[in-house]
Amino acid sequence: MALIKLNDLEVEVPDGINVVEAARMHGIEVPHYCYHPGLSSPANCRMCLVEPHVFFPPAGKVVPDRQLATGCTAMIRTAPPDRKLDGKFDYIVQTDSPRVKKAREDILEFLLVHHPLDCPVCDQAGECDLQDFSYRHGHDKSRYVEVKNVPPKKDLGPDVLLYSTRCIVCTRCIRFCDEVAGSGELGLIQRGSHDEIDIPRAHDGTPLQLLDNKLAGNVVDICPVGALISKDFLFKSRPWFMKKVNSVCPGCSVGCNITVEYKEDGVYRLKPRYHADINEHWMCDDGRLGYEYVNSEDRLQIPMKRENEELTATSWEDVLQLMADRLSAAEADSIVVIGSAQGTNEENYLLKKLAHDVLKTDRIGLFGRNVGEEHKFPQFTIESDKNPNTRGARDMLGAFTNGNGTAAAVIEGDKLWESLSDAKVVYLVNGSPERPLTDAERTALENVDFLIVQDIFLSDVAQLADAVLPSTTFTEKDGSFTNSAGWVQRIHKATDPPGEARVDWEIIQQVAKRLAGEFEYHFAGEIAAEIAATVPGYSEATHQQIGDGGVKLRDE
Amino acid sequence: MIQERRILYEHLDVPGINTFDVFRQYDGYKRFEKTLDEYQPDEIADMVMKSGLKGRGGAGFSTGLKWSFVPRDIEPRYLCCNADESEPGTFSNRYVLEKNPHLLIEGILICCYAMGIHTTYIYIRGEFTLGKRMLDQAIAEAYEHGYLGKDILGKGFDLDVYSHPGAGAYICGEETGLIESLEGKRGQPRNKPPFPAVSGVFNKPTVVQNVETLCNLPFIVDKGVEWYTSMGPTYGDTRFDPPQADQNTGTKLYCISGDVEKPGVYELDLGLTCEELIEVAGGLRGDRVKAVIPGGSSAPILAHYELDTRLDFTSLTLAKSMLGSGGIIVMNDTRNIVDCLLNIMKFYAHESCGQCTPCRWGTPWVRDIVQRIADGEGRTSTITRPKFGVTENGRWGDTGEIEEIYEDLDLLESVANNIANVDTMTWNTICVFGIAVSWPAVSYMRKFRPEFEACIREGKLVTLPVDEATVPPEENYAYQQRIIPKLLET
Repeated sequence: MALIKLNDLEVEVPDGINVVEAARMHGIEVPHYCYHPGLSSPANCRMCLVEPHVFFPPAGKVVPDRQLATGCTAMIRTAPPDRKLDGKFDYIVQTDSPRVKKAREDILEFLLVHHPLDCPVCDQAGECDLQDFSYRHGHDKSRYVEVKNVPPKKDLGPDVLLYSTRCIVCTRCIRFCDEVAGSGELGLIQRGSHDEIDIPRAHDGTPLQLLDNKLAGNVVDICPVGALISKDFLFKSRPWFMKKVNSVCPGCSVGCNITVEYKEDGVYRLKPRYHADINEHWMCDDGRLGYEYVNSEDRLQIPMKRENEELTATSWEDVLQLMADRLSAAEADSIVVIGSAQGTNEENYLLKKLAHDVLKTDRIGLFGRNVGEEHKFPQFTIESDKNPNTRGARDMLGAFTNGNGTAAAVIEGDKLWESLSDAKVVYLVNGSPERPLTDAERTALENVDFLIVQDIFLSDVAQLADAVLPSTTFTEKDGSFTNSAGWVQRIHKATDPPGEARVDWEIIQQVAKRLAGEFEYHFAGEIAAEIAATVPGYSEATHQQIGDGGVKLRDE
Repeated sequence: MIQERRILYEHLDVPGINTFDVFRQYDGYKRFEKTLDEYQPDEIADMVMKSGLKGRGGAGFSTGLKWSFVPRDIEPRYLCCNADESEPGTFSNRYVLEKNPHLLIEGILICCYAMGIHTTYIYIRGEFTLGKRMLDQAIAEAYEHGYLGKDILGKGFDLDVYSHPGAGAYICGEETGLIESLEGKRGQPRNKPPFPAVSGVFNKPTVVQNVETLCNLPFIVDKGVEWYTSMGPTYGDTRFDPPQADQNTGTKLYCISGDVEKPGVYELDLGLTCEELIEVAGGLRGDRVKAVIPGGSSAPILAHYELDTRLDFTSLTLAKSMLGSGGIIVMNDTRNIVDCLLNIMKFYAHESCGQCTPCRWGTPWVRDIVQRIADGEGRTSTITRPKFGVTENGRWGDTGEIEEIYEDLDLLESVANNIANVDTMTWNTICVFGIAVSWPAVSYMRKFRPEFEACIREGKLVTLPVDEATVPPEENYAYQQRIIPKLLET
């Protein structure tokens, strides 16, 4: 730790961080554009100028340095005992002196000379650093009367548009593509005031390489102004009209921390949220753009049962009673309960409890999306397991020891389909955005006497079902996911379920109640508390303790 | 009559001096042989420190001091020779490269021997096609005769020299911009610190030296420190007590252009006055001197009554200008200062690399303002100063004055100072390109304000007579503040 004097505060900060971060830790804003904590610091925007103080031998005292320094490259390091400033400080810096304020005003004036000031039609308005810092640190009027540069609007790739006029050439996007994605599609063309961000192009302007890597969407997030815009979000909503909740991306087993931004009528976009050990500042485009299914018109909205070979709409009362009748009529050995790697820990725990306590069956399966492609980047990985909670589902479905002290094995993959040959009633929870069935899987499910499917779409599985229970996606419920590295993290309810669809754990509880199970949960946190008390490794995984940062599983 | 003292340029006009054999006849490489035979590397570095040799590239930083910052325990170290001579008004290195490239190679050999360097990159300006061809020939000849390569002259010293052409950017003459360009990146200066002496080419310790600086080394080694320090003035630096020696030793290749009868490169002792130099260059062409740019286009201008300033590093710095690269441009009374500034600002607006905000968008803005003034579209505005009093009609009311101000001149000064403040010598930019822009802009405007005002007032480009165009000495802040250094009494 280094002792620094920050304006008139005397504070301790970790060794080796820069002034911007040190100030941020103590609630002082040092405005910056080019600096991003996840990238290198070129110090080219000159916005974060601060005034360090140095020892001046002729005067024999500490004085403000002659030149201002950029806060992003001014590193705070512990000084040797004989080099301490004023006898005790490792660093003295002023972030609000008149010189600093003047410099900020000047830089902001320069940043705005060629800016089109088209905030009324700009998507970034409301979450724009240029707006915010101009408001807090800038001039109220422009002295610029010359002609403004009007560089062209460009289509950089599948999801990214560049409004060059708004660009302040901070080069965050270029450094992101170089350092994190490692593919380096972006670069600067021209020179001086004609600097433009661009992709490689032939002489006639046809693109030679598009910004189409799987992390491309992040450049939109890190763009401090409205230059890089997501086509997916273009003109859809003003940022201040959207509500936000913290959540976890369900796209793969990495479990990137995200913010779900939504309005009454659905989810509008997903944004990455910082987590030092999981995704840092980033998320992939598969996850970012993979929320569309939540808003789909095709979502299951009412329960259905099979009558005369046709799935027909019915009421919850009816379908739950039908399920209860068939489950209680079947022998315990012939019932198979299949949990979902898309589901939360709470749902899978309750499902297992239903199987173990009420249905008394040991035949537990796990179902999820097919294995996809793995993508590795210099500072990011997209995992091949496309389910958010495979590890958590395994832990939950494998809970509850029998009389002999061991838990029933969770059946997965091909063995699951083989084992269905003598099953009479199968209760399958799905919830995947897409899960096509192979012929073998289809045959195995067709052979089942009574198939109950809890799903969000009339998917391949649901089409074979005798009873269909409409359930919810990750934005419509509370719960927790365990990622592949063993981090338990929370998802939060954002939007309401469509139609009559119900939250998964409520459905399971309803089924249990009809079978005389003593289930009495009122919210997902209660189930999580029970998990923390009973499942090995999850002792800290109550919702209060998980919070926004998640907890790591303990070795128990 | 002041005579040229030709040292670097002594044999420049000998036919065939660019070939190894002729160069050899004129003591070529003998000074390097002497270095190898008689001196240890540290002794050479010590000699250079004592000689007071200052970098000739523009900043005038002590060469010996620069060498002392290079950590000797990190391998490899590099020498980077800056032959990207692109400052408008400067053309002295080009003749060395085109006519006597072996001298540069000899200088490089001595520098590398002193610093224990085994790789040298010569970053040569892309437009110097002839210079590049001559240099490449000389390098090939030096390899052929065993003065470059492995185990030079059987003394166990290795040195490889590579020449690398630039692609025509002014900013690649800035040492870190040059290094970036050499590494194959976009030519944009780096943040300092770390300085190249610690982390330069490929993030290794690097000595960056101008061609002219390196060409001085063979003569310092050959004729000794005493001979070298006998040329040029040594001032007393009065910031210290007793005053420390501030050496401006050796000769300088002054490139004189503009309104003189015989423009060209003149090799003279440091410390001549502007007037003497114009005389050496055949006298003025025209009636009167209006202004002199003393050190390349980025240096602040000198008015006609400032011509007694000595042209050396110390005197010009204390006169709030700089010697820079020694490119002296003389303007006579027919020249329009607004037009001259416009010319320079067009150059800088074009050459700004665009890396950092103030320079990227400030430089074209300054150019646009000057362009407007030159087009006769400069703006004036009025300021009213309200003051209560008895008005003409005998009532209590506003008796304030209305004053007309030259809005564009204030704007020009303010914008230029926001890029780099010439009064406090602080800049918000990454490199010193910012000050190279605001220095001329502010100094031209301040020293020749009447001419700028006339252009705005008349709505067209107006050239005033010298005395009317220049602000009088008593209103010239830089002139009032200038210090004339005193020679060190020994």
